Amino acid sequence: MPTRPSAPRRPNARATSRAERPAPEPVASADDPRIMLDRQLGTLYEPIPPYPTRTEREGEFYSLGDGEMFLNLGPHHPATHGVLRLVLKLSGEQIVDVDPVLGYLHRGVEKICENSDYYHVIDQVDPLEYISSLFQEWPAVLAFEKLMDVQVPRRAEYIRVLSGELLRIASHTLFMGFLALDLGGLTPILYSFIERDEIVEMLAALTGARMLFNYYRIGGVNGDLNHEFMSRLGDWMSRAGKQAEANTALINENEIFVRRTRGAGVLDRATALRFGVTGGNLRASGVPFDLRRAHPYSVYPELEFNIPTRDEGDSLARYLIRVDEIRESIRIIDQCLNNMPDGPIMAKLPRLLRPRPGRAWGAVEGPRGMQGVYAISDGTDQPFRFRIHDPSFVNLQTVPALLPGNLLADTMATVASLDPVMGGIDK
Amino acid sequence: MSQAFRLPFRIWASLTIRDRLGLLALVMIPGVLGGAFVTAIGIAVLGPSVLDFLAANLPLVRFFVAATAILLLTVPTAFVLIYLELKVIARMNLRVGPNRVGPLGAAMSVIHGLKVLSKEDFSPSGVDVTVFTLAPVVTFLASVMTLLVIPFAPGIYGQDFNIGLLYFFAMGGLTVLGLLMAGWSSFNKYSLLGGLRSAAQIVSYEIPLTLSVVGVIILTNTMSLNGIVAAQSGSIFDWFVFKQPLAALIFFIAATAEANRTPFDMTEADSEIVAGFATEYSGMRFGFFFFAEYVNVFIVSALCATLFFGGWTAPFNWPWPATLNGFDPYSLGVLGWTAIVLVLIVGGTEVLAPLIRLAGGRSWDMSSTIWMAFAVTIVIGLGALGALGFVAFGWLRGLVWFMAKTYFFVITFVWMRATLPRIRVDQLMGFAWKWLLPASLLNLFVTATAVIILNR
Repeated sequence: MPTRPSAPRRPNARATSRAERPAPEPVASADDPRIMLDRQLGTLYEPIPPYPTRTEREGEFYSLGDGEMFLNLGPHHPATHGVLRLVLKLSGEQIVDVDPVLGYLHRGVEKICENSDYYHVIDQVDPLEYISSLFQEWPAVLAFEKLMDVQVPRRAEYIRVLSGELLRIASHTLFMGFLALDLGGLTPILYSFIERDEIVEMLAALTGARMLFNYYRIGGVNGDLNHEFMSRLGDWMSRAGKQAEANTALINENEIFVRRTRGAGVLDRATALRFGVTGGNLRASGVPFDLRRAHPYSVYPELEFNIPTRDEGDSLARYLIRVDEIRESIRIIDQCLNNMPDGPIMAKLPRLLRPRPGRAWGAVEGPRGMQGVYAISDGTDQPFRFRIHDPSFVNLQTVPALLPGNLLADTMATVASLDPVMGGIDK
Repeated sequence: MSQAFRLPFRIWASLTIRDRLGLLALVMIPGVLGGAFVTAIGIAVLGPSVLDFLAANLPLVRFFVAATAILLLTVPTAFVLIYLELKVIARMNLRVGPNRVGPLGAAMSVIHGLKVLSKEDFSPSGVDVTVFTLAPVVTFLASVMTLLVIPFAPGIYGQDFNIGLLYFFAMGGLTVLGLLMAGWSSFNKYSLLGGLRSAAQIVSYEIPLTLSVVGVIILTNTMSLNGIVAAQSGSIFDWFVFKQPLAALIFFIAATAEANRTPFDMTEADSEIVAGFATEYSGMRFGFFFFAEYVNVFIVSALCATLFFGGWTAPFNWPWPATLNGFDPYSLGVLGWTAIVLVLIVGGTEVLAPLIRLAGGRSWDMSSTIWMAFAVTIVIGLGALGALGFVAFGWLRGLVWFMAKTYFFVITFVWMRATLPRIRVDQLMGFAWKWLLPASLLNLFVTATAVIILNR
């Protein structure tokens, strides 16, 4: 059998084997037995990447000063919210520098979306923000509706706002539990899950799924409000406010919790704006920016709600912002239920969608910030380009600016208070 | 392996089961008989002199028996505490907790113990194997040895030192050595951080812990724990928690840190440094750390009860009207009590079985009737015997009160773990040096001044 000529190998910087790279410089006197051990085995276990440094920053980071060490936090670590890997440069317990390493959950969803037709994109983007996946569907349908000039029925818009705000509450509740868990409190997370489960079961009655809803459609939503959803919602609304108070009381009044989070990971206004942070993290730094007001979409202009802001910019402020937002969301749900119009829930659309060539940007205010989608159509039934702006990704970029100078234990308070979801970050 | 060495195994493998049993009997019967004969002769010849030696050194015998009993006590104690922690935290978390193994899941911790025992004894590459192996032993033994001085009941204690409290703190301080060894030898940075944290923490909290009990020592003029309990006998207001409330508070907080419990569980902060010093440990080596932790909780609770809450003394004279009218329970002897227990069980079953059969109708067959009668008798009989023993024997009364007080503190520790987040390292040290140490010094100063003024 004739062999095919093999393709020429591409030059690859990473192909340099471990044996070829230079041995690390000893940092202390060679008599120290610990250092000698490091020289034998340290190369195997240090988190130094197995290729020559590629950038100046990388070279600077992966060279140790006197008395410093690397700590490889993640990707398998109880407190990194998935597969985030933080390479910490420590001096004792004090953090000198941080290098977040991403990509352990990369699935190439954007490319998959470019090969699916417009209807299927909604299904593909669902598992990105798996905590609040409706907010990943929403910008996608928003962008597609702009591409196709579809007028969404008012009832569908109200249902979107209603389900979205419910999911925002679920996400924030879970955030509170996880923050407490990362600070060592075992119980709040289970109370949070009870609260979240009620909402998720409610949405399951509406959409048919608990987490990956696949509910929003281009031009409307997939199903109308049904009896089970409404009865569960009414049941929950009768005690939602009280329950939110009860759940937060366990944490808010706790001296240890407040001391751990106050002043930890302070994100000042200028830094937040420079990094492009959005959502509750930005509002905790004193910038009253909320897409629901700044660039109104859907029926938000008709609804009354406040945008809570705080000036401290620390972990506690980020936590308290979420608590306030839960109250505002309950207000919005109340108004949605009062103003819910009658009518159709879907616009009339052809079976095969072929928008005119063009480009569109759709963005909504998710629980973590601005969820955006940028789509380009070339006139076929598939998007030519599909790009996702994920707020967790931007928010997580601030970690190297927030952590240095703090203690190792503050890493958990800070990262948890930024509320990243790795599914969205790695795409 | 040589052919000659393999030959017996080959022959053994070729035999049938019956032949194997026969062969075993052929070897074992003369062996057992011969062994029994030799043992009997040995006892006949050496027995009297050994008994004389033991009789001459009764304190030594007592010490060995007590040490063995305490070593054996740690295992069920740890099991009970682990089960309590699983179940109580589960209820506080609105969960069910273990409910599969045994009644209400009570055998869960035993199964955990067996699981840990059956795991591979593994040491990762790069560790200092000697230190790595010794570390859990040091930690476990240090915790167990502190149990020696704790008075469980009048007359039930391992050893009554006149420096009992000092011995306790000295031995308790040794646990940090084991944790530090584990952290250092594990060749893991999380372990190293955990070990260093434990060293810093325990060294800092040892000072307020020790200073807080100096007030008690001044008041009682003794460091023997039996003496301290004896000084608190009387009414409930003789307990030192009323004379030394600040010391009791400081002691409880510092003891929480000493036992590495939430909110001071820096050494194994699972959301920060994975499992701290225990990250690289698995199997029974980890089991020893685990046991030591829970034994520590028990010991610290026991010491809290002993120093400030009267130890085995009853808070009030209960049951007040019940007396034995001058009957001496010891006059029955062991045989007498055994006979009573047997008669109660057999007689109770005999009486209850026909009644259950008559009341239950056809659904009860003979064997289940007898089992039910037996179970009911055991429950009623144990309750009655327990009540009788509680009235009759001072040591049983003391033991019940002591355990009740100790487990009150154990539950408090568990409750704290379910409720509180963990505090940060610098806040932990700041709290020890800025608040606990001055407070304990103040307590010491006030106590000493009061004693001098009142004694003048």
